[in-house]
Amino acid sequence: MKPTIAIGNEYIESWKKAGKKVVGTVCCHIPEELIHAAGMLPIRIRGTECTDDRDGETWMTGYTCGFCRACLQNLIDGKYNFLDGIIVSDGCMFIQRLYDNWAVIGNTECKLNINIPRNHDKLAVNYFKDELQIVKETMEKLSGNEITEEKLNASIDLYNQTRALIREMFTLTKGNEPKITGTETLQWTIRAMSMPKEIYNEELRAFIDEAKQREPITNYGARLMMIGSAVDDPEYVRIFEEHGGLIVTDYNCYGTRYLWSDVTRQEGESAIESIARSYLEKLTCPRMTDLHDEMYEDMLGLAREFDVDGIVYVRLKNCCLWGGESVFFYDKFEKEGIPVLTLEKEEITTNAGQVGVRAEAFVEMIEGN
Amino acid sequence: MSDAKNTEIREIDLLPDVHKEVVKMYSYMKEKHPGRLWMAKLQMDHWDDICTAHERGKKLILTSTNTPAELIYAFDAVPFVPETLIMRYANSDKTFKYLDLADQYVSHQLCSINRGQIGYYLSGDLRMKPDAILATVTPCDSSRVAYTAAAKILDIPSFCLDTPYRQDERGYGYLAEQLKEACKFLEEVTGNKLDMDKLKEIVERGNKAARLLTACSKLRQITPCPLPGSLLVLNEMVGGMMGSQGAVDFLQAEYDYGVKNLAAGKGVTPGPEEFRVIWVQNMLWNNAGIVGWMEKAFNAVLVMDGFGYEGYKVIDTSSEDSIFLGLGQRTLNSPMVHGAAGPAEPWIRMVDRMIGEYKVNVSMFAGHVGCKHTWAASKLVKDYIYEKYGLPTLTFDEDGIDIRYQTADQIKAVITEYMETLIENKKKGNL
Repeated sequence: MKPTIAIGNEYIESWKKAGKKVVGTVCCHIPEELIHAAGMLPIRIRGTECTDDRDGETWMTGYTCGFCRACLQNLIDGKYNFLDGIIVSDGCMFIQRLYDNWAVIGNTECKLNINIPRNHDKLAVNYFKDELQIVKETMEKLSGNEITEEKLNASIDLYNQTRALIREMFTLTKGNEPKITGTETLQWTIRAMSMPKEIYNEELRAFIDEAKQREPITNYGARLMMIGSAVDDPEYVRIFEEHGGLIVTDYNCYGTRYLWSDVTRQEGESAIESIARSYLEKLTCPRMTDLHDEMYEDMLGLAREFDVDGIVYVRLKNCCLWGGESVFFYDKFEKEGIPVLTLEKEEITTNAGQVGVRAEAFVEMIEGN
Repeated sequence: MSDAKNTEIREIDLLPDVHKEVVKMYSYMKEKHPGRLWMAKLQMDHWDDICTAHERGKKLILTSTNTPAELIYAFDAVPFVPETLIMRYANSDKTFKYLDLADQYVSHQLCSINRGQIGYYLSGDLRMKPDAILATVTPCDSSRVAYTAAAKILDIPSFCLDTPYRQDERGYGYLAEQLKEACKFLEEVTGNKLDMDKLKEIVERGNKAARLLTACSKLRQITPCPLPGSLLVLNEMVGGMMGSQGAVDFLQAEYDYGVKNLAAGKGVTPGPEEFRVIWVQNMLWNNAGIVGWMEKAFNAVLVMDGFGYEGYKVIDTSSEDSIFLGLGQRTLNSPMVHGAAGPAEPWIRMVDRMIGEYKVNVSMFAGHVGCKHTWAASKLVKDYIYEKYGLPTLTFDEDGIDIRYQTADQIKAVITEYMETLIENKKKGNL
């Protein structure tokens, strides 16, 4: 089976044919469990398949990140016409504006913008819980289905299974005998956000079992970790892997950060409270103001766990959140003896050759050391 | 951060340097333009308070423009909005060193206000180190980076107020609760206990400033406009001084000045006022003189800016809860935040109201390149203005901090070409 999956794919087609609804999300801080528990299919909006973002640029201008422009372009082009609803967060300022523009020009039946706190203390969790209550009520109205505690708990369990499987998949890049590439892991995490989890979990289980039997990958010169802004294009990862690198792990909201840490339950919490707390605690991107230290400890932990030789730090042009993060981590990685390659990226990759040269030089530099 | 880099470029002690400049400017105004001394006094009060804080045994709190300064004053501490420092240097080459240094660490696309800040934190030139940070997460992602960077680089305690994107009652309540928590933080930092009577007194002083700013804005709605556009730039400083006597004195003087002009039937343009301009995005901090130049060159007065530095809500001081709720509300409704840092819809509504109330006939989007979230909604705003009022919006890019990006002459050339067309149209009866 080819893990690459199109935005409009056969799973969505079958889902819609069955008379069921699909809801798109922008930003991985939006808990899909609430959409799933309403009997609808959550899918994550992405900028892939966009080769010309002129309308996105018209609405959002060239001062916006290319990822959001491409997402808007895909929406304008009708690639997401199958959506019955869209939920956008204030994950970053461009995602906010994606919503603002789509709210005016978009044809999606249900459009919802939610506030996601940037702190994770008790006050923030309570505030977020109330926001999720709005999501819950909106999803109930859209689907016509009540979201009971039982259904929500079942969705949490299903999603935690997906998370466990994704973590298991990444174990196949560990050690001296890696079995899968970073291109594949990104294809699989993107697949997770593009189809029903029930089927996905079975498919991913089968892939992991098959991959375990593979011959180890040996034709690489350096084990790399890709961190930074949203990278939703596996072909971008492939550039590094065609130039001597192997992306063994990442800190990417379309990769490991999408579904990694479980939604955990604490005594006395309702399901929605568990979701609110877990989603604010999860280490994803620098938008959270009070989790910087934890995020870098986590990144360093991953780098050690996956025996990383070098970090590829990708920042989308105009992405301020990741664009500013280097002030915190350059020294930290340097202290750990892990070299960092900084690359600026546009969503539509037109400089693959140039990126390849940088990748090759980086790998050679690591090998030389 | 690397010590080597810090020592290499350490040359200036920033705050005393600014202080020296402001004292010089104040003396000059006193001698040459005593009638306008009140404008310089605002800056004098502002920088004097900051630069002498430690000498006076007060804690210096790094803060954001929409964090209620009243709360900081209530703890007998001094608020310092770091953006004002880089803005102070914006019309000179003094920013280059900080911008260039920041570029070694962060993306060049971060707003230059915040890159400038990061640069001066990294440089070590901010030798009078603030004691703590109390800031919000608005107005943009760049500022979120800068405040977190300040805490890390300066190694000082910080408290972050999480400001929701939407502005509603639940958000005000959320902020009110956080502000109460912030009091505990300020108690620890300053060693002072919160005195509610003192806070009430300061908030009432802030209310006085809020009413005066609203009154000045009402004056701006009159034709001819009795207040110059350049005062809008100074009005931006008030946010970080709410609750201080300096802010009240300045706004009282501004109001009196406007009333005097009004009584004399005087506008601010040399000839009859021809154009009433709204500035939909940021101010030209490094080229603020352009606003005065427009008045002289085209009889065009900037009547209001689209970030809404036209007033603050008055806070109900009848109880502790109403004060904190009011401060929460003000945090979310402060200029720039209610204008451009939240959803586009309220921003459009505000611009719409302004065009009507201020009788605007020229719209300009002087787009600071770092203010990317406003660019990303600019078409929505400009389309609305055009569809409802038939007004096209002159749009140009500039960098309000880095004069290397676009010179004053380049900006003037763009404006001149546009204004000449409007003048021609007016002659033909098309405006």
